[in-house]
Amino acid sequence: MMQERQPMITLTSLIGTPVTDAQGQLRGRVADLAVGTGDEAGRVMGLVLKARGGRALVPATDVRQTPSGALELRPEASPRPLADFENYILLRGDLLDRQIIDVHGRKVVRVNDVDLQWFDPATQAPSAGNLTATWDLRVREVEVGMRGAVRRLLQGLLPRPGIDSIASRFSPRVIPWDFVDMIEVDPARRVKLKIEHERLAQLHPSDIADILEELAPAEREAILMTLDEEVAAEALEEVEPKLQVSMVESLDSETAAAIVEEMDPSAAADLLAELPEERSEAILEEMHPEERQEVEELLEFREDSAAGRMTTEYVAVPVTASVGEAIQALREFEGDVETITEVYLVDADEVLKGVVSLARMVLAQPDTRLDVLTEIHFHTCPADAHENEVAELFDRYNLRALPVIDSKGRLAGVIEADHVIAFLRADR
Amino acid sequence: MKRWRTRILLFLAVLGPGFITANVDNDPNGIFTYSQSGAQYGYELLWTMIPITLSLYVVQEMCARMGAVTGKGLSDLIREEFGLRVTVIIMALLVLVNFGNVIGEFAGIASSLELFGLSKYISVPICSLLVWLLAVRGDYKKVEKVFLAASVFYIAYIIAGVLSGPSWHTALLDTIKLPPHAVWGNHAYLFMVIAVIGTTIAPWMQFYLQSSIVEKGITAKNYAASRLDVIVGSIFTDIVAWFIIVACAATLYVHGLGSIQSAADAATAMKPLAGAYAFLLFAVGLFNASFFAASVLPLSTAYVVCEGLGLESGIDRKFKEAPFFYWLYTILIAGGAAVVLIPNFPLIKWAVESQVLNGVLLPIVIVLMLLLINRKDLMGEHVNSRWFNIVAWVTAIIVSILSVMLMIHGGS
Repeated sequence: MMQERQPMITLTSLIGTPVTDAQGQLRGRVADLAVGTGDEAGRVMGLVLKARGGRALVPATDVRQTPSGALELRPEASPRPLADFENYILLRGDLLDRQIIDVHGRKVVRVNDVDLQWFDPATQAPSAGNLTATWDLRVREVEVGMRGAVRRLLQGLLPRPGIDSIASRFSPRVIPWDFVDMIEVDPARRVKLKIEHERLAQLHPSDIADILEELAPAEREAILMTLDEEVAAEALEEVEPKLQVSMVESLDSETAAAIVEEMDPSAAADLLAELPEERSEAILEEMHPEERQEVEELLEFREDSAAGRMTTEYVAVPVTASVGEAIQALREFEGDVETITEVYLVDADEVLKGVVSLARMVLAQPDTRLDVLTEIHFHTCPADAHENEVAELFDRYNLRALPVIDSKGRLAGVIEADHVIAFLRADR
Repeated sequence: MKRWRTRILLFLAVLGPGFITANVDNDPNGIFTYSQSGAQYGYELLWTMIPITLSLYVVQEMCARMGAVTGKGLSDLIREEFGLRVTVIIMALLVLVNFGNVIGEFAGIASSLELFGLSKYISVPICSLLVWLLAVRGDYKKVEKVFLAASVFYIAYIIAGVLSGPSWHTALLDTIKLPPHAVWGNHAYLFMVIAVIGTTIAPWMQFYLQSSIVEKGITAKNYAASRLDVIVGSIFTDIVAWFIIVACAATLYVHGLGSIQSAADAATAMKPLAGAYAFLLFAVGLFNASFFAASVLPLSTAYVVCEGLGLESGIDRKFKEAPFFYWLYTILIAGGAAVVLIPNFPLIKWAVESQVLNGVLLPIVIVLMLLLINRKDLMGEHVNSRWFNIVAWVTAIIVSILSVMLMIHGGS
């Protein structure tokens, strides 16, 4: 089946093509292609003709290609006027020369051309070049490389075969339609077109952050708004601090609060500390009391102190607990389990009594008491220690996490190794 | 005590892309044009400085505003709104024009250091390597600081102007009143007027400024500071230009030394007339301007072309992440430096021709900018006001006339 493919049709070569009726009378020229979304994703719902009476839409099945390459309407075809409100992606208007997200390559690219293909709507098989049958048109891939660019530059200057032979010398870079994520800034239209960034949301938060950094503010905002709050929060944490602030500032307080709530409390506190005071208060106001309190407590501390760098999301159990109970506590933990490397033992007054690494716990029997497993010399640091001292401790003792204690020895929070790496890099 | 210190710090914090861009424009070509107008016509061209400052501010402010509101570079916008073909044509012209300018900058480096007895075969390779390293090794923040520091050295020209002992009364009077009717019939004078306008606003500046604004993360909300940056930059730049004209008017024109061949000539000719300090400042100023422009121009070109064609760019990226960007940057520097090293290269002729290309491209760029900035769907409430449109259109028309005249002039 693969070999039966017709020569590729490109958007560029279709645009401007005259469309005649069965009698050979010119009815208009192809101005654009309207593509469906949602269930009809990638299917060309119609050719937009520029005719004397304005823009008209004709289904691809109502058009056939003549041997000369021109397009002819079937006798029964009837183009209808194209209204402004219709929910189609217009390939030329919305896609050509615009930026899209290549979900597979995890980056932002610019569209040079779009490749299409005729196929049989009954069998879904690609067209074998039989021009008498009823064929439909489908988007196959988007060209972002030199091949598409060269083809477009030469369009109209050389005959088609000449363009093809020159273009074929350049390396193609294409993105299959399934991996294309369109950026739509207008919220109303985004909903109508059912653009949801589902594939984008599945990328690693760091990759999403990189993509966001590439975009213009309006586009960033548009994407951030459509992402699930949890995904948005994770991505936002990975964005460089300055951009973080400007991104949050562009959101309304309610949306911002929903995202900030999902962030790690320490990251959220760092972010809010950078915002103008009224803004951060407005956002705190919208947050759940529980998350809000946690963040507010962290906001009290100097940013470059141990407490300013710590998170309050950690797992602490009574000093009398067993391995089994600790594992149960881990199961019930609501934060990000992947960041946990040790469990903290505290007495009734929350005073830190011991530290047990996850590895030791896994190797022990479920009924073993945790205080037996605790490190003999565990390290802590006071809440007001400078971040440089913290980094030194991590380096000296090869730590993965460091508990922070207040003046009474109570566990206040934990600094994770990745927080240390983050601020060391930021200071460079 | 503390109050004025905070004020100065606030002022310095505001300086950035606009200040740098406007200053780079006083490159060797610009300095040569200003020197020549002072040498040939004395103070009679000073009146152009006020309208030029206005034009420069309007055009630059448009770029800064577009960058802040859309978050996109100018070539990005041209690509999205006018398509690939227009973009490629403009990029090709821009590379050509800028390559011409880069050669001019390295020629400026060579001739300014030759004033101190340093052979161009030593100065040019070393300086081109330094220029290259500046962007490849530094990050944007550091590079911007270096550029800002370089901008301050333009004060050398202001001091040189003061040392030349001008007639302040005449200079100030000629700045605010139009010249007598008689000179308007003089073709050579008119040509010089237009050349001065043409050298002050260059096409690459618009692209560079808008990209810098975007890269700095300036948005519509914190845009007010950038507007101040652009105003201060435009005014400072033209104050420097004013002093260059004044310095040459007070020395070369007064002593009847009307004809100079390069910006370095002006410094040499000034030495016996205004003393060794004026010479020294003029020469150091020229070196600074050349080096500074040589650092910014190739960088700006690489940015713009990559942006427009959708390739990875930015000095915050590594060489491997943005190969085209760095290669173009490298070739512009190496090529520009190599051309200057060719013995007996006709630099003057080249300089005139690259100015013609500048003049061809600039009106196109301004018109595209005007089309973009007046679109409500792109700019929202930040579209151009009527006065901005008028000033920008007048600038585009005058520069178009400049390019036609230059072409006729260059042909004859």
